[in-house]
Amino acid sequence: MKWIPTCRDATELASRAMDERLPLTNRMALRLHLAICENCTRFNQQLQEMRRLFREETGANDDAAGLAPEARRRIESELQKKLGS
Amino acid sequence: MNTLDAHAWLTDHGDYLFRVARRQLHSDELAEDAVQETLLAALTAQARYAGDASPRTWLTGILKHKIVDLIRRNVREVEIPRDEEGEEAIDSLFKQDGHWAEPLRPWGNPQTEAELSQLRRVLDECADRLKPVMAQVFSLREVAGMETEEICKELDITPTNCWVLLHRARVFMRQCLELNGFSKAGAA
Repeated sequence: MKWIPTCRDATELASRAMDERLPLTNRMALRLHLAICENCTRFNQQLQEMRRLFREETGANDDAAGLAPEARRRIESELQKKLGS
Repeated sequence: MNTLDAHAWLTDHGDYLFRVARRQLHSDELAEDAVQETLLAALTAQARYAGDASPRTWLTGILKHKIVDLIRRNVREVEIPRDEEGEEAIDSLFKQDGHWAEPLRPWGNPQTEAELSQLRRVLDECADRLKPVMAQVFSLREVAGMETEEICKELDITPTNCWVLLHRARVFMRQCLELNGFSKAGAA
């Protein structure tokens, strides 16, 4: 990887930075690249935005379908079996 | 513990548990299994339920483990590193010299309840379209907020594979969201 990474490298670094603390050289390289690249800055912001949206919505999506009636019956009878044993 | 409690759990929390599981497992069938295993485990463990957490919180805690168990059982059957499509999808975004082939468009800023509800639907639909293991790893990380290290360990995949999966999933998701109306131009 060159001193200032390509966009392709920078997107990989941006993604990885969301999962772990990057080594210093990578961190510097990413920062340098983002300072001069509008597209990668946008990419980075959109990944963060996506995470925020997902985490905010966890489990709270009440318009999503619930348990199907057959599944509910099946689980009911499994619980019954377990209680009976 | 009596029969009534187990019934009440299913009645009161069944749909909620299913939705949480569905968003992380991306399969109705697996999500139903997760709910069933959670309630069965809850029956067995109910002596340990001290009642200081709400039943929903307690059940959701059990569900989290069941979700990882189910993914672990499924992940064995899938070859993770071979994903030429994923590689090609990324290739097509960049020019030979590593620059973006097309400029990235900014995303809109949804405000109304209708816009937000549409957005939630698109998020879930796009995540469902990821390849199975990828969808699950992505959701454990981005939805459930599990640490990458923990995900790798639980699913017994190498950190490099885990990270490649996450990166490809993110690139795919970003594009899918854009194609489905997240960009300002598309939302008009």
